[in-house]
Amino acid sequence: MKKFQQLAIPYIVWACIMLLLPMLLIAFYSVIQQGNSIVHFKLTLDNYVRFFTDKDFLLILWRSLWIAIKTTIICLLIGYPIAYFISKNSPKIQQILVLAITLPTWINMLVRTYAWIGILSSDGIISSFLGLFGIHTELLYTEAAVLIGMVYNFLPFMILQINTALTKMDRSLLDAAQDLGANKFQTFWKVIFPLSLPGVVSGITLVFLPAVSSFFIPKLLGGGQFFLIGNVIENQFITVGEWNFGSAISMIMAMIMMLLMMLVRKLEERNKEEK
Amino acid sequence: MEQEKNKLIQFRHIVKEFDGQVVLKGIDLDIYENEFVTLLGPSGCGKTTLLRILGGFLEPSEGQVILNGEDICEVPAYKRELNTVFQKYALFPHMNVYDNIAFGLKIKKMSKDVIDQKVMKMLKLIGLEGFENKDVTLLSGGQQQRVAIARALVNEPSVLLLDEPLSALDLKLRKEMQYELKKIQQEVGITFIFVTHDQEEALTMSDKIVIMKDGEIQQVGSPEDIYNEPVNQYVAKFIGESNIIPARMICDKKVRFDDITFDCVDVGYKENEPVDVVIRPEDIDIVDVKDGKMTGEVESVLFKGVHYEIMVETVPGTHVTVNMHVNKNYAITSEDGKEKISANDFYLDLEDMKDIDDKEIIARADAQAWNPETDEFISIHDIDTDLKQEVGEYTVTFSTNNKTSITRKIWVVDQRVVENKKANEAVSAFNFFKTVDEIKESMAIDTDLKTWANAQGWKLDDENETVDLDVDYDFDPETITEGVYKVTFWTTGREFKIHTTDYVEEGKEVGLTFFAEDIHVMEKMGF
Amino acid sequence: MSKDKRVLGKVGMALLLVFFYAPILFMIIFSFNSSKSLTHFTGFSLRWYEAMLKNHGMMESLYVTIVIALLATIISTIIGTITAIGLSKSKKVLRAFISQVNDFPIMNPEIVTAIGLMLLFITFQIEKGFVTLLLAHIAFCIPYVILSIMPKIKSLDPNLADAAMDLGATPWQALVKVIVPQIMPGIVSGALIAFTMSFDDFVISYFVTGQGVKNLSIMVYTMSKRINPSVNAISTLVVLLITITLTIVNVLPMIRKKASPSKQNKPWKWAVAGVVVVGLVASLFGLNKSASTLPYAGQTLHLYNWGEYTGENIISGFEELTGAKVIMDNFDSNEQMYIKVANGDAYDVLVPSDYMIQRMMQEDMLQKLEPETRKECLSELMEAIKGLPYDPKNEYSIPYFWGTVGIVYDKTKVSEEDLENEGWNIFLDQKYKGDIYLYDSERDSFMMALKALGYSMNTTSADELNAAFNWLVQCVQTMDPEIVTDEIIDNMAQARKALGLIYSGDAAYVMSENENMGFYMPTSGTNLWSDAMVIPKNAKNPKLANEFIRYITSYDAAMDNSSYVGYTSPNKEVTEELGGEGGDYDGINAYTPRSGYDKDEVFQYDEATRKIIADLWSRVKVAASNAH
Repeated sequence: MKKFQQLAIPYIVWACIMLLLPMLLIAFYSVIQQGNSIVHFKLTLDNYVRFFTDKDFLLILWRSLWIAIKTTIICLLIGYPIAYFISKNSPKIQQILVLAITLPTWINMLVRTYAWIGILSSDGIISSFLGLFGIHTELLYTEAAVLIGMVYNFLPFMILQINTALTKMDRSLLDAAQDLGANKFQTFWKVIFPLSLPGVVSGITLVFLPAVSSFFIPKLLGGGQFFLIGNVIENQFITVGEWNFGSAISMIMAMIMMLLMMLVRKLEERNKEEK
Repeated sequence: MEQEKNKLIQFRHIVKEFDGQVVLKGIDLDIYENEFVTLLGPSGCGKTTLLRILGGFLEPSEGQVILNGEDICEVPAYKRELNTVFQKYALFPHMNVYDNIAFGLKIKKMSKDVIDQKVMKMLKLIGLEGFENKDVTLLSGGQQQRVAIARALVNEPSVLLLDEPLSALDLKLRKEMQYELKKIQQEVGITFIFVTHDQEEALTMSDKIVIMKDGEIQQVGSPEDIYNEPVNQYVAKFIGESNIIPARMICDKKVRFDDITFDCVDVGYKENEPVDVVIRPEDIDIVDVKDGKMTGEVESVLFKGVHYEIMVETVPGTHVTVNMHVNKNYAITSEDGKEKISANDFYLDLEDMKDIDDKEIIARADAQAWNPETDEFISIHDIDTDLKQEVGEYTVTFSTNNKTSITRKIWVVDQRVVENKKANEAVSAFNFFKTVDEIKESMAIDTDLKTWANAQGWKLDDENETVDLDVDYDFDPETITEGVYKVTFWTTGREFKIHTTDYVEEGKEVGLTFFAEDIHVMEKMGF
Repeated sequence: MSKDKRVLGKVGMALLLVFFYAPILFMIIFSFNSSKSLTHFTGFSLRWYEAMLKNHGMMESLYVTIVIALLATIISTIIGTITAIGLSKSKKVLRAFISQVNDFPIMNPEIVTAIGLMLLFITFQIEKGFVTLLLAHIAFCIPYVILSIMPKIKSLDPNLADAAMDLGATPWQALVKVIVPQIMPGIVSGALIAFTMSFDDFVISYFVTGQGVKNLSIMVYTMSKRINPSVNAISTLVVLLITITLTIVNVLPMIRKKASPSKQNKPWKWAVAGVVVVGLVASLFGLNKSASTLPYAGQTLHLYNWGEYTGENIISGFEELTGAKVIMDNFDSNEQMYIKVANGDAYDVLVPSDYMIQRMMQEDMLQKLEPETRKECLSELMEAIKGLPYDPKNEYSIPYFWGTVGIVYDKTKVSEEDLENEGWNIFLDQKYKGDIYLYDSERDSFMMALKALGYSMNTTSADELNAAFNWLVQCVQTMDPEIVTDEIIDNMAQARKALGLIYSGDAAYVMSENENMGFYMPTSGTNLWSDAMVIPKNAKNPKLANEFIRYITSYDAAMDNSSYVGYTSPNKEVTEELGGEGGDYDGINAYTPRSGYDKDEVFQYDEATRKIIADLWSRVKVAASNAH
């Protein structure tokens, strides 16, 4: 109906202003000089040059990616077996377990991360427990603490994604595999795992994306000397006040993410074509 | 029957319960080598459960499954030398045609060139050469079906299980695949166990049909046996179209139904034992009235392509005729013109008198009061009547709060019931009063007439079993005027369905004949 | 074998649930702790709940979180539904365009979306606050709503609306009576996602809010520097609210079902849950609000102050006195404060440091105090901090706290000899590797480095600054320091490390908590600083601001402030009383700063140097994180 078509018009205007324009503004600020206004400005690529010529920034970028990769791998290694275990239960128990995993995510992320400070601090329960065995380690304000914080916050996404993929799977495929002589192990590797890959992929993106850009987890659990790319951006905007440089870093990060996404999609497509 | 064949599979008293619900009630069944066996039954009869027990996807609660002389209940599915074609094929969507077919062989770690050879041979068998690199999700339903069959057959199982494999296909493809499946089975020479709810499919392909109902086997036999000698009404109805008539065994080879005794070939029943008789529509011939074992009137003739399907009524139905009094539209208007009231005369059954109340009287009389300007309804406040619990003529007065009133008649009668012992049914109906407008405004006159006349039909031996009624009348509802009209309510009597290639006119009196061996006597179904 | 696996799975699952729930449980337990510790439970008490209820910044953040989440959910669900229906009938190009644009907030890192929105509001000079927060939340919620409704619409029979209209429904009726009920499951799940996203959001809110409007996340973030178990208390409250909501949502339909077997509709239960939650929160608020006839009743003071920089009863005292409401926002560096204010966030009173005041005066961002405020306050102040170089006549500023910067050290681990011999260079002493705190402030860090090298901390020489940069890089690369802000206070009080760079006032608190701690001011000189109250040009209520400044300087408030926070009060009487014999800080050298020492300096503002230092410091931090 033509009439219904018009219903979308207000949102199109809104989306242009609230979603598209901000992205254009970041792009714009990233190529002008500090102190320029939107009317008088000079285009420059200095902000990008500055980032890519400073090996410290590159190192931080790399470290952010690396810690995100580590988080993702840990989430996958824990999340897959758990999701698989959940999917093996009766629908009713599945529902309860999924609820149990979703429930904490309803509580504010900051609040839950904050709770870890007490647990990880040097006289907290973990350290005290390790102390019983004569192991004395600092946990809070280390990379391990940041990793724990990230896994804690993002693991539910991974589990839920994989679990959905597993439960959506046609049960008769498993019967078919067994019928054709595959034992449980073979059924898993040849049928279940490949078919759950889409869930794994979306789980990975849901973990990796926020992990790369997170800045409050490193700040709360990693301390002030633990800088990730998100902290650099926050710092540029909140403390240093160099928006143009900050915008450039944001652009770079957005671009890297986009490239990774495209890569993932390409891989998926190629997988399809191969068949 | 070639009884020298080996028993390949034996089901020994298989019982299966799910959460306290018994799905299989002790199945005993033998299946021989190189047979095409069909498990036939409506959904929920347990046929798929039985197949899944054989496939190893379910464990029986009781009983044994013996394959080649060995109990295989403890053998996991992946070690059984059986393969299954699943209902929706269950092809692995992440593999191409080749990999799907090669799956089982790769699991067995066969060498690559052996796999290659076998897969190619299979592709040839199912006519999908050149499709090996196709994505299975892009294949048509029929092609997917073939791949699923190839994937199972390539493992050279001794038995192939097929779980309603054709149900997802359209009619034309289904017919093609029926033929193809049979051909493949003959070519590879192994046992096929096929599950379906489609009797035609079963009749077309099987060497042996197993008819199941509610977790029990009803009959096992060749398609011809089952078709011609169904053991009970259930099987007869399930397999093909048939005329099923309640009857009584007089003695061996004599059966009586519809007040006629017929010769038959069945023996072994008790004297006067109630039985069911089935006569297949194609076994009945239409002849002249004088030559018929029975006579009747041709009710309808339908052309079905190859043959005519003719319905012949041998025992007439039950009729009851009532009077419909059509009155002028009659309403009383109050003095100030602000209210109108109307009602009909009506008949009441003496038997219904005991639970008659004001509400019921208003409903029967269709009494209404309304405001002519706004069309709003006004409630009827007062009902005044001299109604008594005996046959007679009474008056009733309906009035509103404002004393606008109308007076009508009620006749209390002893209702006439027409009983028809031969057809085991009874019909009753009332005379009734209606206005011209009510009849003209009726959207479905047949249904309304039944309601107005309170027409009912039921079985004599079971009053709760209703019998459908038809209506006949000779007025045109569009142009009806005042007067009295006859309305007849009637049931169809005994009808026989006959398949014949000869045309007969509708309404003609004909004779029906059949051979003694065409009468199949069956036991009454136990409840 | 499969039995074993099940056991393994169950154990794994149990461990996972412990992992997920232990922190929450921990939080709940410690919200009832009688002491401040987050690690030792010393006894049951409700003091943190009391503190939470008193602190209406906290309660308000909870209120803001819920109101924003509900409004954003309702609005974005309505708009999202309407748009999704509209889009389903639109041209393909348009659909593709919208789905591309909608992907921005979903596929981009949150921080990028946040910065985009912040730039948008700033570029078009929309004052940041409640409205911008709400707009931003709606902006990122709608795409999720559309995403969850679209598939439902696509699976609808396209003739449904036509059929309804054929039967005489107007297009609107067709929409409401036929289409919307059909896609209800999608709408409900969309609304649920929107609510969760909004309720949980931190990053975007953090960048787009202003005027002290905080949601729970921002509140926790800004309060997390120093241990404050009230955060646990409010978190427990949130857990409780969520539990109640979920229980209502799950239990009510059961009761309803029993009452009437009619088909229950789901939006109903969410609506009830929402109303209940709002009611609960509103009633909590009702406790704190009372009508008043005081002079400033109904007015609001926006205060922008350092975190943990006000006495226990300061805010409530001022509110009782004047009837005005105080909204306090916290910053953790002068620069952060400056950027916000320079970008148009309107506050009535700021508490920046000396050099920042100088800068703001230079940039004409401040307004003069009322003469009587100046007169009244000067009469209360110590001589030593009247007329400091950045504001010689105290025309713009009245000191709030003052002090020096020095070294806090654990007397049991650090010898005084080392301190005296090495001065600031003790921060390069390998003996203390891994056992030191640096303070995350570019000014103070460079002060330390410059003083260590014997330069003036107000130098403009590029060479000297570079030398200081190298000194700091050497420190972060070889000494493995932790760079902290206010965490240092609690951590040093618990003797977690041996040494730290610290403000004298914080040191005073540390020493009062732990007698093993000492405070040392190197002989090579240090920074003599003061934080002072100023009124920015764009203040909305300067009159109330003056009132506040007078109030803070008065004896009672200054006493409360200084005894609670531990910083040196500019109020003559208070300092003498607290630092003197029998005072709270008797014998604590850090409380009474050294004054009149010729190598101690006050910061001067210089634009070029500031930029260099800001950049160099951010590179020091980058180097520090790369050193691991």
